[in-house]
Amino acid sequence: MQGKGPPRSLWERLGEIDYRWLYALSLVLMVIPILRPFGLPTVVSEPTKGYYKAIVDLPPGSVVAVSFGSSLALLDEQEAQFIATWKVYFQHDLKVIFYCTYADSMIILNEELDKIVKPESYGKAYGVDYVRLPYAPLGESGEAAFATNIRGVYPTDIYGTPLDEIPMMKDINDHRGIDLIHFQYTSCTDVEFVIRQWVVPYGKKAIITTLGCCGPMAAPYYPTQIKGFLSGSGMGTELEVLSGNPGPGAVMSDAKNLGILGLLLFLLLGNISYIGKKFGGKG
Amino acid sequence: MKVNFWEILGAWVGAFFVISVMTMLWKDNPYFRFGQQAIIGATIAHMVLFNMKNVINMALIPISKGQLLLIIPFILGLMTYTRLLKDYAWIAKYPTSVLVGVGVGVMIAGTLRGQIIDQVKATVMDVFAATTATDTINGVIIAVGTVTAITFWIFTREHTGALGMSAKIGRVFLMISLGANWAGEEVWYLTQMIGRLIFLIEVFIKGALLGIA
Repeated sequence: MQGKGPPRSLWERLGEIDYRWLYALSLVLMVIPILRPFGLPTVVSEPTKGYYKAIVDLPPGSVVAVSFGSSLALLDEQEAQFIATWKVYFQHDLKVIFYCTYADSMIILNEELDKIVKPESYGKAYGVDYVRLPYAPLGESGEAAFATNIRGVYPTDIYGTPLDEIPMMKDINDHRGIDLIHFQYTSCTDVEFVIRQWVVPYGKKAIITTLGCCGPMAAPYYPTQIKGFLSGSGMGTELEVLSGNPGPGAVMSDAKNLGILGLLLFLLLGNISYIGKKFGGKG
Repeated sequence: MKVNFWEILGAWVGAFFVISVMTMLWKDNPYFRFGQQAIIGATIAHMVLFNMKNVINMALIPISKGQLLLIIPFILGLMTYTRLLKDYAWIAKYPTSVLVGVGVGVMIAGTLRGQIIDQVKATVMDVFAATTATDTINGVIIAVGTVTAITFWIFTREHTGALGMSAKIGRVFLMISLGANWAGEEVWYLTQMIGRLIFLIEVFIKGALLGIA
């Protein structure tokens, strides 16, 4: 049984509020916009503008290589980014090579491309306008190998068709056949792969998409080494707005804007309690 | 929209595990532990199967078709498993050495130019190539932050005098940088939670339970 200790000060009691109340508050705040989206305005940032410009400035028929390393566990953070991006590719008549670098990424690629983006709805045909290459655990050495010899890493596409038999791949053997590299990753330091294996040796134009928490590590490379980047679902929403392709990002951004208030309250109370205990006497 | 049996089953199974993980917000419990262990087990099984398939497709089949050079990486791969045998664990050092050697060889040239020379150049250029007052101020802040943050990591001299002052300023920049990273992490977790709430509301409740998705 808990003994009757000395009376606790206001600051101590403030710091001991059951965290579950704050969780409950955050959950309620997050659910409201899901049930009734607000459509809060979105400000498009410079890296997103650079990202979009790098794509739309390419002449029609240019080839984009998408190094796709998304994970199912992190899908919510990136779905808005790549759905909007892939739509922009097909809207601007670019040819796309998708290659999967993570075990889950092939599942995501097939699902999202077939059920949501639907290249055929833009008049695009498989093998002529886009190609899907299967999962291979590339890492940095694999990216280097892909840039020097695509067939060495991926002899066939996901259906087992040799690349030589795919019309679009006929003259594409290495980095020389690629006009833009879109590097999509979930491990923050992987941004270095694209810098070291595509930008430095070949001066290739690069854009990247990653998680929100990886943004600060990608930012130093913009705009000198990467032309633009999207980190987190928020910047995915920005691309949806900028490109006029509404998608899953809008609801997510509304819920995030409201849900963060619970966390801010959490921080505020914790800090008031700490400062109060240190400087505020007994309270 | 008509929902088929497999989508409904998927929604139920997904909701079962999402809710099991969310119960941890209340407190640790057997439902949470079951969900956690089942998810970890399924993920590992998925990864193992995928990688086994890779070994078959990228090594065994090409070897059987006469690409005999691939036997070398295949054997190196097998050698890593000697770590499991105490007396032969030393053999695993060879494939590890190859991996490290190749990794370093592949990255070193790009690191020097891409991450050191070009970054230093961009830091300096930010100040001198600025066209507006805001850009100049930003450039100066970045340059000061970069230099002072680097001096914080100099441990071969005592942090006194000018070095001490610079290191102190650098520490402030590092704290701001870590704070920005941490904020990014928090927002990321929030996104994951919102994504699962959207799944529960749109797919499970509206789709599978009410049939109104």
